[in-house]
Amino acid sequence: MKFKDYYESLGIERGASEEEIKKAYRRLARLYHPDISKEEGAEARFKEISEAYQTLSDPEKRQAYDDLGRHRAGEEFRPSPEWDSRFWQDQPHQEVDLSDLFEQMGFRASQRRSQSGGVDFPIRGHDVEAIAQLSLDEVCHGTQVTLERTGGNVRIRVPKGVVDGERLRIPGRGGHGSGGGADGDVYLHIQLLPHPLFRPVGHDLYVELPLSPWEAVLGAQIEIPTLDGRVQVTVRPGSQGGQKLRLAGKGLPHRGEGAGDLYGVLQIVVPKEINEREQELYRELATASSFQPRPQFTGGTIHG
Amino acid sequence: MADDLLNPVDGETLVESAELLAASGLAHEELVELVEFGVFETNQGDAGWSFHSRVIHQARRVVKLRDAFGLNPPGMALALTYLEKIEALEQRLRELECLLPR
Repeated sequence: MKFKDYYESLGIERGASEEEIKKAYRRLARLYHPDISKEEGAEARFKEISEAYQTLSDPEKRQAYDDLGRHRAGEEFRPSPEWDSRFWQDQPHQEVDLSDLFEQMGFRASQRRSQSGGVDFPIRGHDVEAIAQLSLDEVCHGTQVTLERTGGNVRIRVPKGVVDGERLRIPGRGGHGSGGGADGDVYLHIQLLPHPLFRPVGHDLYVELPLSPWEAVLGAQIEIPTLDGRVQVTVRPGSQGGQKLRLAGKGLPHRGEGAGDLYGVLQIVVPKEINEREQELYRELATASSFQPRPQFTGGTIHG
Repeated sequence: MADDLLNPVDGETLVESAELLAASGLAHEELVELVEFGVFETNQGDAGWSFHSRVIHQARRVVKLRDAFGLNPPGMALALTYLEKIEALEQRLRELECLLPR
Protein backbone atom coordinates (compact mmCIF):
# COMPACT_ATOMS: atom_id res chain seq x y z
CA MET A 1 0.00 0.00 0.00
CA LYS A 2 1.26 3.48 -0.85
CA PHE A 3 1.42 5.97 1.94
CA LYS A 4 -0.35 9.33 1.59
CA ASP A 5 0.54 12.21 3.83
CA TYR A 6 -2.86 13.63 4.69
CA TYR A 7 -1.36 16.37 6.86
CA GLU A 8 0.83 17.50 4.00
CA SER A 9 -2.19 17.46 1.63
CA LEU A 10 -3.90 19.97 3.88
CA GLY A 11 -0.68 21.86 4.61
CA ILE A 12 -0.95 21.44 8.38
CA GLU A 13 1.14 20.12 11.25
CA ARG A 14 0.48 16.66 12.65
CA GLY A 15 -0.63 18.18 15.93
CA ALA A 16 -3.22 20.49 14.29
CA SER A 17 -6.50 20.99 16.17
CA GLU A 18 -9.87 19.97 14.72
CA GLU A 19 -10.58 23.64 14.07
CA GLU A 20 -7.28 24.08 12.21
CA ILE A 21 -8.02 21.02 10.07
CA LYS A 22 -11.43 22.40 9.16
CA LYS A 23 -10.01 25.84 8.35
CA ALA A 24 -7.25 24.41 6.18
CA TYR A 25 -9.74 22.26 4.31
CA ARG A 26 -12.15 25.14 3.65
CA ARG A 27 -9.36 27.42 2.49
CA LEU A 28 -8.14 24.81 0.00
CA ALA A 29 -11.68 23.84 -1.02
CA ARG A 30 -12.35 27.46 -1.96
CA LEU A 31 -9.37 27.30 -4.32
CA TYR A 32 -9.86 23.87 -5.82
CA HIS A 33 -13.56 23.00 -5.58
CA PRO A 34 -14.53 21.76 -9.06
CA ASP A 35 -17.48 24.15 -9.14
CA ILE A 36 -15.17 27.07 -8.54
CA SER A 37 -11.92 26.24 -10.27
CA LYS A 38 -11.89 25.08 -13.87
CA GLU A 39 -8.09 24.90 -13.90
CA GLU A 40 -6.44 21.70 -14.98
CA GLY A 41 -5.63 19.46 -12.05
CA ALA A 42 -8.00 21.29 -9.71
CA GLU A 43 -10.37 18.35 -9.50
CA ALA A 44 -7.58 15.90 -8.65
CA ARG A 45 -6.26 18.29 -6.02
CA PHE A 46 -9.76 18.68 -4.56
CA LYS A 47 -10.12 14.90 -4.35
CA GLU A 48 -6.80 14.72 -2.52
CA ILE A 49 -7.74 17.36 0.05
CA SER A 50 -11.24 15.89 0.50
CA GLU A 51 -9.78 12.46 1.11
CA ALA A 52 -7.37 13.91 3.67
CA TYR A 53 -10.15 15.87 5.36
CA GLN A 54 -12.51 12.92 5.50
CA THR A 55 -9.96 10.93 7.45
CA LEU A 56 -8.50 13.66 9.64
CA SER A 57 -11.86 15.21 10.59
CA ASP A 58 -13.10 11.94 12.08
CA PRO A 59 -11.35 11.42 15.45
CA GLU A 60 -11.49 7.62 15.18
CA LYS A 61 -10.04 7.56 11.66
CA ARG A 62 -7.46 10.20 12.53
CA GLN A 63 -6.26 8.09 15.43
CA ALA A 64 -5.99 5.07 13.15
CA TYR A 65 -4.14 7.13 10.55
CA ASP A 66 -1.71 8.54 13.14
CA ASP A 67 -1.04 5.03 14.38
CA LEU A 68 0.17 4.02 10.91
CA GLY A 69 3.24 6.06 11.76
CA ARG A 70 5.18 8.45 9.55
CA HIS A 71 6.21 7.50 6.06
CA ARG A 72 7.19 9.43 3.01
CA ALA A 73 4.27 10.15 0.64
CA GLY A 74 4.16 7.46 -2.04
CA GLU A 75 6.29 5.07 0.02
CA GLU A 76 5.19 1.44 0.07
CA PHE A 77 4.28 0.36 3.56
CA ARG A 78 2.27 -2.22 5.41
CA PRO A 79 0.31 -1.58 8.60
CA SER A 80 1.57 -3.51 11.61
CA PRO A 81 -0.28 -6.68 12.65
CA GLU A 82 -1.44 -4.87 15.82
CA TRP A 83 -2.89 -2.08 13.69
CA ASP A 84 -4.65 -4.61 11.49
CA SER A 85 -6.32 -6.40 14.32
CA ARG A 86 -7.27 -3.22 16.10
CA PHE A 87 -8.67 -1.13 13.24
CA TRP A 88 -9.09 -3.45 10.33
CA GLN A 89 -10.15 -6.67 12.05
CA ASP A 90 -7.55 -8.59 10.05
CA GLN A 91 -9.35 -8.15 6.72
CA PRO A 92 -7.11 -8.67 3.68
CA HIS A 93 -5.89 -5.42 2.06
CA GLN A 94 -3.48 -6.46 -0.67
CA GLU A 95 -4.83 -4.26 -3.48
CA VAL A 96 -6.52 -1.69 -1.33
CA ASP A 97 -5.77 2.02 -1.56
CA LEU A 98 -5.33 4.01 1.61
CA SER A 99 -8.51 5.96 0.84
CA ASP A 100 -10.56 2.74 0.50
CA LEU A 101 -9.13 1.58 3.77
CA PHE A 102 -10.39 4.62 5.64
CA GLU A 103 -13.65 4.80 3.77
CA GLN A 104 -14.48 1.21 4.59
CA MET A 105 -13.33 1.72 8.12
CA GLY A 106 -16.39 3.92 8.65
CA PHE A 107 -18.65 1.18 7.38
CA ARG A 108 -16.99 -1.39 9.56
CA ALA A 109 -17.44 0.83 12.58
CA SER A 110 -21.17 1.16 11.94
CA GLN A 111 -21.48 -2.53 11.21
CA ARG A 112 -19.78 -3.25 14.51
CA ARG A 113 -22.23 -1.00 16.27
CA SER A 114 -25.20 -2.62 14.59
CA GLN A 115 -23.99 -6.07 15.54
CA SER A 116 -23.45 -5.26 19.19
CA GLY A 117 -26.57 -3.12 19.61
CA GLY A 118 -28.74 -5.41 17.52
CA VAL A 119 -30.07 -2.41 15.57
CA ASP A 120 -29.96 -2.70 11.81
CA PHE A 121 -28.62 0.50 10.39
CA PRO A 122 -29.30 0.98 6.67
CA ILE A 123 -26.40 2.41 4.69
CA ARG A 124 -26.97 3.58 1.17
CA GLY A 125 -24.51 2.24 -1.42
CA HIS A 126 -21.85 4.49 -2.92
CA ASP A 127 -22.58 6.58 -5.96
CA VAL A 128 -20.26 5.91 -8.88
CA GLU A 129 -19.18 8.90 -10.94
CA ALA A 130 -17.45 8.62 -14.29
CA ILE A 131 -16.55 10.88 -17.20
CA ALA A 132 -17.33 9.99 -20.83
CA GLN A 133 -15.46 11.95 -23.49
CA LEU A 134 -17.45 11.75 -26.68
CA SER A 135 -17.08 13.02 -30.22
CA LEU A 136 -19.76 15.17 -31.86
CA ASP A 137 -20.59 12.26 -34.08
CA GLU A 138 -21.21 10.01 -31.08
CA VAL A 139 -23.56 12.44 -29.34
CA CYS A 140 -25.32 13.01 -32.64
CA HIS A 141 -26.28 9.40 -33.10
CA GLY A 142 -26.19 8.18 -29.54
CA THR A 143 -23.62 5.66 -28.39
CA GLN A 144 -22.63 3.23 -25.67
CA VAL A 145 -19.81 3.60 -23.21
CA THR A 146 -18.24 0.94 -21.06
CA LEU A 147 -17.74 1.65 -17.40
CA GLU A 148 -14.89 -0.41 -16.01
CA ARG A 149 -15.67 -1.68 -12.56
CA THR A 150 -14.35 -4.31 -10.29
CA GLY A 151 -16.78 -7.19 -10.49
CA GLY A 152 -17.56 -6.72 -14.16
CA ASN A 153 -17.75 -3.92 -16.68
CA VAL A 154 -21.10 -2.39 -17.50
CA ARG A 155 -22.23 -0.70 -20.65
CA ILE A 156 -24.22 2.52 -20.46
CA ARG A 157 -26.40 3.73 -23.28
CA VAL A 158 -25.81 7.40 -24.11
CA PRO A 159 -28.95 8.56 -25.91
CA LYS A 160 -28.71 11.05 -28.75
CA GLY A 161 -29.29 14.60 -27.65
CA VAL A 162 -26.83 14.91 -24.77
CA VAL A 163 -24.79 18.11 -24.59
CA ASP A 164 -21.43 19.06 -23.21
CA GLY A 165 -21.43 19.15 -19.40
CA GLU A 166 -24.60 17.08 -19.06
CA ARG A 167 -24.80 14.48 -16.31
CA LEU A 168 -26.65 11.24 -16.88
CA ARG A 169 -28.03 9.32 -13.93
CA ILE A 170 -28.62 5.59 -13.72
CA PRO A 171 -30.43 4.98 -10.43
CA GLY A 172 -29.66 1.96 -8.30
CA ARG A 173 -26.65 0.74 -10.26
CA GLY A 174 -23.89 2.14 -8.06
CA GLY A 175 -22.43 0.43 -5.00
CA HIS A 176 -24.59 -2.00 -3.02
CA GLY A 177 -26.27 -0.71 0.09
CA SER A 178 -25.99 -2.57 3.37
CA GLY A 179 -28.32 -3.19 6.30
CA GLY A 180 -31.34 -2.72 4.04
CA GLY A 181 -30.01 0.54 2.53
CA ALA A 182 -30.67 1.30 -1.13
CA ASP A 183 -27.99 0.80 -3.78
CA GLY A 184 -26.17 3.92 -4.94
CA ASP A 185 -26.52 5.52 -8.36
CA VAL A 186 -24.22 5.83 -11.37
CA TYR A 187 -23.52 9.31 -12.75
CA LEU A 188 -21.96 9.78 -16.14
CA HIS A 189 -20.54 13.20 -16.87
CA ILE A 190 -20.53 14.00 -20.60
CA GLN A 191 -17.60 15.93 -22.07
CA LEU A 192 -17.44 16.74 -25.75
CA LEU A 193 -14.14 16.32 -27.52
CA PRO A 194 -13.09 19.29 -29.66
CA HIS A 195 -13.96 19.06 -33.35
CA PRO A 196 -11.71 20.60 -36.03
CA LEU A 197 -14.61 22.47 -37.68
CA PHE A 198 -17.66 22.66 -35.45
CA ARG A 199 -17.88 24.44 -32.13
CA PRO A 200 -20.88 23.40 -30.03
CA VAL A 201 -22.87 25.79 -27.84
CA GLY A 202 -25.63 23.75 -26.24
CA HIS A 203 -27.40 22.06 -29.15
CA ASP A 204 -26.24 24.69 -31.68
CA LEU A 205 -23.11 24.33 -33.76
CA TYR A 206 -20.92 27.08 -35.15
CA VAL A 207 -18.69 26.77 -38.18
CA GLU A 208 -16.42 29.41 -39.59
CA LEU A 209 -17.32 30.33 -43.15
CA PRO A 210 -14.44 32.09 -44.93
CA LEU A 211 -15.39 34.14 -48.02
CA SER A 212 -13.29 35.87 -50.65
CA PRO A 213 -13.95 39.63 -50.98
CA TRP A 214 -15.73 39.09 -54.32
CA GLU A 215 -17.94 36.33 -52.90
CA ALA A 216 -18.99 38.70 -50.11
CA VAL A 217 -19.63 41.58 -52.53
CA LEU A 218 -21.26 39.72 -55.40
CA GLY A 219 -22.93 36.95 -53.44
CA ALA A 220 -22.19 33.28 -54.02
CA GLN A 221 -23.41 29.74 -53.77
CA ILE A 222 -21.07 27.86 -51.49
CA GLU A 223 -20.96 24.41 -49.97
CA ILE A 224 -20.64 24.16 -46.25
CA PRO A 225 -20.00 21.06 -44.21
CA THR A 226 -22.65 19.84 -41.79
CA LEU A 227 -22.60 16.80 -39.52
CA ASP A 228 -24.48 14.85 -42.17
CA GLY A 229 -22.81 15.89 -45.38
CA ARG A 230 -22.30 19.06 -47.35
CA VAL A 231 -25.07 21.58 -47.95
CA GLN A 232 -25.32 24.37 -50.53
CA VAL A 233 -26.00 27.82 -49.10
CA THR A 234 -26.57 31.20 -50.69
CA VAL A 235 -24.44 34.09 -49.56
CA ARG A 236 -26.28 37.32 -50.39
CA PRO A 237 -24.52 40.14 -52.24
CA GLY A 238 -23.07 42.68 -49.80
CA SER A 239 -22.57 40.18 -46.96
CA GLN A 240 -20.44 41.43 -44.05
CA GLY A 241 -17.86 39.62 -41.97
CA GLY A 242 -19.29 38.39 -38.64
CA GLN A 243 -22.79 37.84 -40.06
CA LYS A 244 -24.36 34.49 -39.29
CA LEU A 245 -26.05 32.20 -41.76
CA ARG A 246 -28.50 29.97 -39.93
CA LEU A 247 -29.19 26.45 -41.06
CA ALA A 248 -32.20 25.43 -39.00
CA GLY A 249 -32.14 21.92 -37.57
CA LYS A 250 -28.57 21.18 -38.66
CA GLY A 251 -27.15 21.35 -35.13
CA LEU A 252 -27.04 18.58 -32.55
CA PRO A 253 -30.26 16.59 -32.15
CA HIS A 254 -32.49 17.11 -29.14
CA ARG A 255 -33.42 14.18 -26.94
CA GLY A 256 -36.85 13.83 -28.55
CA GLU A 257 -37.71 15.48 -31.84
CA GLY A 258 -35.84 18.28 -33.58
CA ALA A 259 -32.33 19.58 -33.37
CA GLY A 260 -30.36 22.72 -32.71
CA ASP A 261 -29.18 24.99 -35.53
CA LEU A 262 -25.94 25.26 -37.43
CA TYR A 263 -24.53 28.76 -37.81
CA GLY A 264 -22.05 29.60 -40.51
CA VAL A 265 -20.14 32.68 -39.36
CA LEU A 266 -19.00 34.72 -42.36
CA GLN A 267 -15.41 35.75 -42.32
CA ILE A 268 -13.93 37.73 -45.19
CA VAL A 269 -10.42 36.59 -45.97
CA VAL A 270 -7.99 38.09 -48.44
CA PRO A 271 -5.12 36.43 -50.28
CA LYS A 272 -1.71 37.16 -48.74
CA GLU A 273 0.02 37.21 -52.09
CA ILE A 274 -1.50 38.12 -55.47
CA ASN A 275 -0.13 38.13 -59.00
CA GLU A 276 0.36 41.19 -61.20
CA ARG A 277 -2.94 40.83 -63.01
CA GLU A 278 -4.81 40.71 -59.73
CA GLN A 279 -2.95 43.75 -58.47
CA GLU A 280 -3.95 45.58 -61.60
CA LEU A 281 -7.61 44.67 -61.12
CA TYR A 282 -7.56 45.75 -57.48
CA ARG A 283 -6.01 49.11 -58.46
CA GLU A 284 -8.67 49.57 -61.09
CA LEU A 285 -11.33 48.75 -58.50
CA ALA A 286 -9.81 51.20 -56.04
CA THR A 287 -10.06 53.99 -58.61
CA ALA A 288 -13.54 53.09 -59.81
CA SER A 289 -15.15 52.52 -56.41
CA SER A 290 -16.85 55.26 -54.41
CA PHE A 291 -17.15 52.96 -51.39
CA GLN A 292 -16.38 54.63 -48.06
CA PRO A 293 -15.33 51.98 -45.53
CA ARG A 294 -14.91 54.49 -42.64
CA PRO A 295 -17.63 57.13 -42.95
CA GLN A 296 -17.91 57.46 -39.15
CA PHE A 297 -14.37 58.88 -39.03
CA THR A 298 -15.44 61.83 -41.11
CA GLY A 299 -18.80 62.63 -39.55
CA GLY A 300 -20.85 60.21 -41.62
CA THR A 301 -22.77 57.21 -40.36
CA ILE A 302 -22.05 53.55 -40.96
CA HIS A 303 -25.61 52.95 -42.11
CA GLY A 304 -25.78 56.10 -44.28
CA MET B 1 -19.21 -12.09 -17.61
CA ALA B 2 -22.11 -10.89 -19.76
CA ASP B 3 -22.55 -7.19 -19.30
CA ASP B 4 -25.95 -5.57 -19.44
CA LEU B 5 -26.82 -2.24 -20.98
CA LEU B 6 -27.82 0.46 -18.52
CA ASN B 7 -30.26 3.17 -19.50
CA PRO B 8 -29.95 6.64 -17.99
CA VAL B 9 -33.00 8.48 -16.72
CA ASP B 10 -34.32 11.33 -18.82
CA GLY B 11 -33.89 14.74 -17.15
CA GLU B 12 -37.62 15.38 -17.58
CA THR B 13 -38.70 12.28 -15.63
CA LEU B 14 -40.36 13.19 -12.34
CA VAL B 15 -38.93 12.02 -9.03
CA GLU B 16 -40.50 12.22 -5.59
CA SER B 17 -38.96 14.20 -2.72
CA ALA B 18 -37.81 10.97 -1.02
CA GLU B 19 -35.72 9.93 -4.03
CA LEU B 20 -34.28 13.41 -4.39
CA LEU B 21 -33.27 13.44 -0.72
CA ALA B 22 -31.75 9.95 -0.83
CA ALA B 23 -29.82 10.55 -4.04
CA SER B 24 -28.43 13.92 -2.99
CA GLY B 25 -27.93 13.63 0.77
CA LEU B 26 -29.94 16.80 1.28
CA ALA B 27 -31.96 17.07 4.51
CA HIS B 28 -35.72 17.56 4.25
CA GLU B 29 -35.64 20.97 5.96
CA GLU B 30 -32.90 22.10 3.57
CA LEU B 31 -35.00 21.00 0.61
CA VAL B 32 -37.99 22.98 1.90
CA GLU B 33 -35.87 26.10 2.27
CA LEU B 34 -34.27 25.72 -1.15
CA VAL B 35 -37.70 25.33 -2.74
CA GLU B 36 -38.86 28.42 -0.84
CA PHE B 37 -35.85 30.32 -2.18
CA GLY B 38 -36.96 29.30 -5.66
CA VAL B 39 -33.73 27.49 -6.60
CA PHE B 40 -35.49 24.15 -7.19
CA GLU B 41 -38.59 24.00 -9.32
CA THR B 42 -41.35 21.72 -8.07
CA ASN B 43 -44.40 20.09 -9.52
CA GLN B 44 -47.19 19.93 -6.98
CA GLY B 45 -48.57 16.39 -7.12
CA ASP B 46 -51.23 14.62 -5.07
CA ALA B 47 -48.61 13.02 -2.86
CA GLY B 48 -46.61 16.22 -2.30
CA TRP B 49 -43.77 17.71 -4.31
CA SER B 50 -42.16 16.07 -7.27
CA PHE B 51 -39.15 17.29 -9.23
CA HIS B 52 -37.66 16.89 -12.67
CA SER B 53 -34.85 14.42 -12.26
CA ARG B 54 -32.33 17.06 -13.42
CA VAL B 55 -32.97 18.73 -10.02
CA ILE B 56 -31.04 15.77 -8.52
CA HIS B 57 -27.87 17.10 -10.18
CA GLN B 58 -28.49 20.56 -8.74
CA ALA B 59 -29.15 19.04 -5.32
CA ARG B 60 -25.98 16.92 -5.38
CA ARG B 61 -23.98 19.93 -6.38
CA VAL B 62 -25.38 22.05 -3.59
CA VAL B 63 -24.72 19.26 -1.07
CA LYS B 64 -21.05 19.12 -2.15
CA LEU B 65 -20.82 22.88 -1.65
CA ARG B 66 -22.58 22.59 1.73
CA ASP B 67 -20.13 19.95 2.90
CA ALA B 68 -17.03 21.68 1.59
CA PHE B 69 -17.87 25.11 2.95
CA GLY B 70 -20.28 24.43 5.80
CA LEU B 71 -23.07 26.39 4.07
CA ASN B 72 -26.55 26.88 5.48
CA PRO B 73 -29.57 26.84 3.13
CA PRO B 74 -29.45 30.59 2.31
CA GLY B 75 -25.74 30.18 1.48
CA MET B 76 -26.50 27.10 -0.60
CA ALA B 77 -29.22 28.97 -2.48
CA LEU B 78 -26.92 31.90 -3.15
CA ALA B 79 -23.99 29.70 -4.26
CA LEU B 80 -26.15 27.69 -6.66
CA THR B 81 -27.77 30.82 -8.09
CA TYR B 82 -24.39 32.40 -8.73
CA LEU B 83 -22.91 29.25 -10.23
CA GLU B 84 -25.82 28.86 -12.60
CA LYS B 85 -25.58 32.51 -13.53
CA ILE B 86 -21.85 32.13 -14.21
CA GLU B 87 -22.53 29.09 -16.37
CA ALA B 88 -25.18 30.96 -18.37
CA LEU B 89 -22.64 33.75 -18.92
CA GLU B 90 -19.94 31.25 -19.90
CA GLN B 91 -22.33 29.77 -22.44
CA ARG B 92 -23.03 33.25 -23.82
CA LEU B 93 -19.29 33.93 -23.93
CA ARG B 94 -18.67 30.70 -25.89
CA GLU B 95 -21.40 31.76 -28.30
CA LEU B 96 -19.75 35.15 -28.84
CA GLU B 97 -16.30 33.56 -29.17
CA CYS B 98 -17.72 31.49 -32.00
CA LEU B 99 -18.39 34.73 -33.88
CA LEU B 100 -14.71 35.66 -33.81
CA PRO B 101 -12.10 34.25 -36.18
CA ARG B 102 -10.08 31.50 -34.54
